[in-house]
Amino acid sequence: MAMAEKRRRGAFLGLVAATLAATLPALAQVNPLPPEKAFRFSARLVDAQTVEARFTIADGYYLYRDKIHFAIEPAAVGLTVPRLPEGKVKEDQFFGRVETYRGGVVVNLAVKDPQPGQQIVIAAESQGCADIGICYPPTVQRVTLAVPAGSVVPHASDPPQKRWFN
Amino acid sequence: MTTRLQRVFLLVTAGAVALGLGIGVAVWDRNPPDATALLALSLPDTQGTPQSLRQWRGKVLVVNFWATWCGPCREEMPEFVRAQRELGPKGLQFVGIAVDQRDKVVQFAKELDLNYPALIGGYDAVELSKPLGNRLAALPFTVIFDREGRIAHTQLGLLKPAQLRSIVANLL
Repeated sequence: MAMAEKRRRGAFLGLVAATLAATLPALAQVNPLPPEKAFRFSARLVDAQTVEARFTIADGYYLYRDKIHFAIEPAAVGLTVPRLPEGKVKEDQFFGRVETYRGGVVVNLAVKDPQPGQQIVIAAESQGCADIGICYPPTVQRVTLAVPAGSVVPHASDPPQKRWFN
Repeated sequence: MTTRLQRVFLLVTAGAVALGLGIGVAVWDRNPPDATALLALSLPDTQGTPQSLRQWRGKVLVVNFWATWCGPCREEMPEFVRAQRELGPKGLQFVGIAVDQRDKVVQFAKELDLNYPALIGGYDAVELSKPLGNRLAALPFTVIFDREGRIAHTQLGLLKPAQLRSIVANLL
């Protein structure tokens, strides 16, 4: 009796699980991730003049390499963006050769003139699509970072001593 | 006794879960009630002439939000061109709203021999589709209106040719 009961309950739970399993893909179809979740941006200071910028791209989504742009706020601090890593090449009938990233992409940005203790904002613009057949307009994500107060910041063009007198 | 109660409890739970999911999906799929703002819209065409969506009142109107930078959008547009050619005389009218720059739209429209208006909306245009169910402002997004201007269908992502034909056939 107990066994039969257990089996029946198992069947019920199985039915619930099957219902869920059948419904979830449909929900995923009509409910794609918002761009900031599909293309999650993060950034950290590796040292006072280097920001490691990272896009973590969800499965089934991709970013266009030439649509990624970085900016720093306040702009006066200055930012040097290196060449982005090579992506996967795709031939586009309209745009020709385009490169895309899947999974993620990391790039080290050079902060030109950070002040110790200063708050800087890295603004990252990106544009991408999902394999289910939709694309997102360009999206800007921002990360605020604090340059360590005690950091000795060498200046790119001036002798390092000059900073101590500013 | 307990086992019967448990069984009833499980049945009720399963029922509630199924009902909840059903309502959830229904709400998700429900057509938004109002498209007044969209139909009141006037946007420049590729020549720069303002075009009001109201001028196509009385037709079965397919409004397609798209962009040249959106691969899936470009993929479905040849079918729209075909449908416009074949069903236009019966009262079907496609209108594209490009979330894009004018020069790109002009170039693509020429390549595709676009036979329906491509209005230039810029990046802000996609905001108009948000109240119609396009929460993420993603593309392509298509709204099909019946002849009375009521929303018959909204679609995020590709509209399959067969699906398009069957929806439109019911409205023409």
